[in-house]
Amino acid sequence: MRYLQGRFVASALTAVSIALGVGLVIASVLLTRGVKQSFVDGTTDYNLIVGAKGSPTQLVLNVVFRMDTATPNILYRTYGYVRDDARVDVAVPVAMGDAFQGVRYVATTPAYFAAFPWRRKTFAIAAGRFFRDDVPDHPAYEAVLGADAARRTGLRVGDRFYEGEEMAEYPLTVAGILRSTGSADDQAIFFSLPSYWAMNEVARKMQIKPLTAVLIRAKRMSDLPSLHREYNVSAETQAVFPSAVLLQIFNLLTLAEDVLAMILAIVAIVVALYLFVSMYSATLERKREIATMRALGARRGTILAIVLLESVAITFLGAVLGLGVGHGIAYVGSMLLASRGGPIVNPFAVGALQPVVFGSVVIIGALAGLLPACLAYRTEVAANLAPLS
Amino acid sequence: MTSWLALVVMLTFALAAHGDEAPRLTFAQLVDSIRANFDVTQQMKSYAGNNVEIQGFIIPAGPPDLSFFLLSRVSALGNYCCEMPTGQDETVYVFAAKGVRIVYDPLRVYRVRGVFEAGKHVDPTYGVSMFRVRDARVEVAAGAKIFRVGAPPPPPAKP
Repeated sequence: MRYLQGRFVASALTAVSIALGVGLVIASVLLTRGVKQSFVDGTTDYNLIVGAKGSPTQLVLNVVFRMDTATPNILYRTYGYVRDDARVDVAVPVAMGDAFQGVRYVATTPAYFAAFPWRRKTFAIAAGRFFRDDVPDHPAYEAVLGADAARRTGLRVGDRFYEGEEMAEYPLTVAGILRSTGSADDQAIFFSLPSYWAMNEVARKMQIKPLTAVLIRAKRMSDLPSLHREYNVSAETQAVFPSAVLLQIFNLLTLAEDVLAMILAIVAIVVALYLFVSMYSATLERKREIATMRALGARRGTILAIVLLESVAITFLGAVLGLGVGHGIAYVGSMLLASRGGPIVNPFAVGALQPVVFGSVVIIGALAGLLPACLAYRTEVAANLAPLS
Repeated sequence: MTSWLALVVMLTFALAAHGDEAPRLTFAQLVDSIRANFDVTQQMKSYAGNNVEIQGFIIPAGPPDLSFFLLSRVSALGNYCCEMPTGQDETVYVFAAKGVRIVYDPLRVYRVRGVFEAGKHVDPTYGVSMFRVRDARVEVAAGAKIFRVGAPPPPPAKP
């Protein structure tokens, strides 16, 4: 420790640069993995989504993850065709609306929240109740808020709300608040399709009402390819496998990950070189000090161990600090993503990453200190104890 | 030293040969094996419980981690070419071993190897199926051929 104290500023700067390198690696991996995992965890249990012709990615991101703008409308009769198809087990109509304080409106039926044996996600009410299954002539204007939506807007059961003066005639009443599902449904305001159609001037005038999409669960998975093909060859609709779209997004993320891995490898090399240069110059500076220690009886092995220990100690400190810095950066990144309606990332996920990075850094530190340690080991007493003048 | 090297080389070849041992089943064989009341031929049943290889297009009907997906003779993406996918008889339900690491391409043929099951089975999550591969490993099948129904099948695979 006294050896380290002698070069406090240089040692501290070296530890800080290691910490920044480790932090960058930890934060980058946590965020990229977290984004991917968030898509996997938050995806829908429905196998197929039917929507208007256009971008499949836009359809999935908007309907499942509440990102991007809504795709153009399809007609309600499409839902009728799907629902009456003998191959379909469950069909749920969804219409994407505007937003209240940035929280998206999602119009659907109570079937959206129903529990099925195949469903991973469960919806439960934390306060109040689900909205009523009303009819087009008598919309109830009742809303159910996702857990995050309720927190962000501050709305409670019984509150009435609207945004924009054209909506003043059709305020929604909070009927219930959902428990957190850990998905994009936490950041939505749900209400019935009749309420949605009544609130929308264009929809009010339409004989056949509009929808954004229909979520489909097939009775037999093996019928999905033919359902997919039929709704895709139709001139009005497209059918999308949500997982296929997510896998295409993951392919792009993998490319970004590969580029990031190269950058991180360069960062690791730069940090290792910095540590090496720092230790090497310290050893050169201390040749006289080392020679004195040798003259006082210190063995060559002791000198080697001291320099190696110094290198490992600095790396150890930097790595410990870096773990904290990495999780801190990941936390800030996850907050930024969440505030922009992006995927929900756990910045404190602990797994094999931390011990692997920590162990690798300490080993790199030991290797970087090996040559300076050898240099110290070979320091000649007589040559370095000569008078300075 | 030489004998040790020879042993290592032999073991490597033996392991590689073991990996390639799984007989390949084609969709044509699967279709031909189907009998009334969800039954399949004895020959197809003889593959059950053994490792097999099937090549086809991935249809990601399950979660995006590909822990479950459909393997089909026809790609899910070709909307304006090829024939319509027919369903149960030309679809294999694949339950993958943990951690499938592939670059998904709807237009590529993949090789799936795993424990084969034939005959009707009702899964609580994925429903009724005729053919399944469990504990499956997935990789791109370079230069693969998909045999169409009615086309001459490849040489018979040994169970």
